Amino acid sequence: MTISEMNFFQRMLYILQDYGGSLLAGAATTMAIALICTFLGCVIGFAVGLIQTTEPHKKDGAVKRGVLRVVKLILTAYVEVFRGTPMMLQAAFIYYGMSSVFGINLGMWSAAIIIVSVNTGAYMAETVRGGILSVDPGQREGARAIGMSHMQTMVYIVLPQALRNIMPQIGNNLIINIKDTCVLSIIGTVELFFTFRSISGALYTYFEAASVTMIIYFILTFTCSRILRAIESRMDGPANFDLATNDTLAFTSGLTKYNDKTGGMH
Amino acid sequence: MAGIIKVEHLAKTFGTNEVLKDIDFSVSSGDVISIIGSSGSGKSTLLRCINLLEEATSGKILFHDKDVLAGAINEDEYRTKVGMVFQSFNLFNNLSVLDNCMIGQVKVLKRGKEEAEKNAMEYLAKVGMAQYIKAKPRQLSGGQKQRVAIARALAMNPEVLLFDEPTSALDPEMVGEVLDVMKILAESGMTMLVVTHEMAFARDVSNRVIYMADGRIEEEGSPEDIFSNPRSPKTKEFLSRFRGEKE
Repeated sequence: MTISEMNFFQRMLYILQDYGGSLLAGAATTMAIALICTFLGCVIGFAVGLIQTTEPHKKDGAVKRGVLRVVKLILTAYVEVFRGTPMMLQAAFIYYGMSSVFGINLGMWSAAIIIVSVNTGAYMAETVRGGILSVDPGQREGARAIGMSHMQTMVYIVLPQALRNIMPQIGNNLIINIKDTCVLSIIGTVELFFTFRSISGALYTYFEAASVTMIIYFILTFTCSRILRAIESRMDGPANFDLATNDTLAFTSGLTKYNDKTGGMH
Repeated sequence: MAGIIKVEHLAKTFGTNEVLKDIDFSVSSGDVISIIGSSGSGKSTLLRCINLLEEATSGKILFHDKDVLAGAINEDEYRTKVGMVFQSFNLFNNLSVLDNCMIGQVKVLKRGKEEAEKNAMEYLAKVGMAQYIKAKPRQLSGGQKQRVAIARALAMNPEVLLFDEPTSALDPEMVGEVLDVMKILAESGMTMLVVTHEMAFARDVSNRVIYMADGRIEEEGSPEDIFSNPRSPKTKEFLSRFRGEKE
């Protein structure tokens, strides 16, 4: 039976049988780039967001204030440029620019990782800034009042709470990255979308190849979003907001027994 | 008695609003000073200025004769010696009760984990919260949170403890447990500066009372002086209004 005689499902099966290996490899590349770049993007985002929310100390001299201002200006420019231009063009710009202007030939992996991380970082910077601003100012005052420095306050008190607040957005970014790595096909990265183009080009079965690839993309994103949700609820700890007490007289008033082994109730 | 904190001609303005005007007073070792006065009289701002959470516009704060505002002592080091308890508790939401009381000791005072834990446990026991060390702040009631906040401040072994309306955000039935803890502290000789609306506490526990009105210290004296024969008409009026509320 030739491919033109098959029906829709037979064609999909045929693609899976003949190209399953390449699809799997493409999916693995996509996931690897998405995971690495979301992580690196978060690191960049936290660094940038931290600097953006730093206010100069009252007693700081003009030089320190000036430096901080210039650094903030550069970071703002970075965020605006990378948020404001298509990643596909950024990919072409960096990849081909590096080789033609500087004579540096970035490998497929390093180019892909640089482009997606820097792009994610630009989005994450704003997210982290929002996350930091969302933490109750009282938390900062409490930390300063026991003598913590600005840096200690941020690292031990504010950022952990900001991280929890922006977890949904980090998940969002991961899912966007899984899908958006497809623009890397412009610089020849062999990821899932590139594999789709090869298959459809070889077999002329666009509809079936697209269906298979879409299903794979969906499985990847759906799995990730479920895992992230599970991580979030783990970060929250016991979801019991009842007041804890060991005072038996208070049980009748709606307070529940505090279990000092689990740290939660019951 | 040795003087710990001396406030001289302290003033604070927010824009054109003069919140504190020419404040002068001193805190000696073992003092329990209550600062009373109606809302907006500048009590909390005064406390926040002493803890450097607000920057005083002019005047001096001397800590063991060192000029704090001129930078004669490191700001963070000074804060470890002048603890603060807030109206809204400000417990670290991401940390357990025990970690709340340990993090300052470990990260700021650079104490070892074991020593810090022992010290934290001692003060948590003192405020009756030793059973709850693994709980997160959101699992506690307001009174419990405030008691942990007091233990957190005590664990730094400060020389002075500032209380900014520690019971104002609490349900009436929880006010007692926090006041009891503060009473025990006062009896143990802790130097305390307490902004409060609890007149019974001011009268019975403190050794000095400061009445503030319109950003000034209107009257200062022993609890008997202030509550039994106030000299200033403003103090009289404030106290009579207060008694009226109570009865």
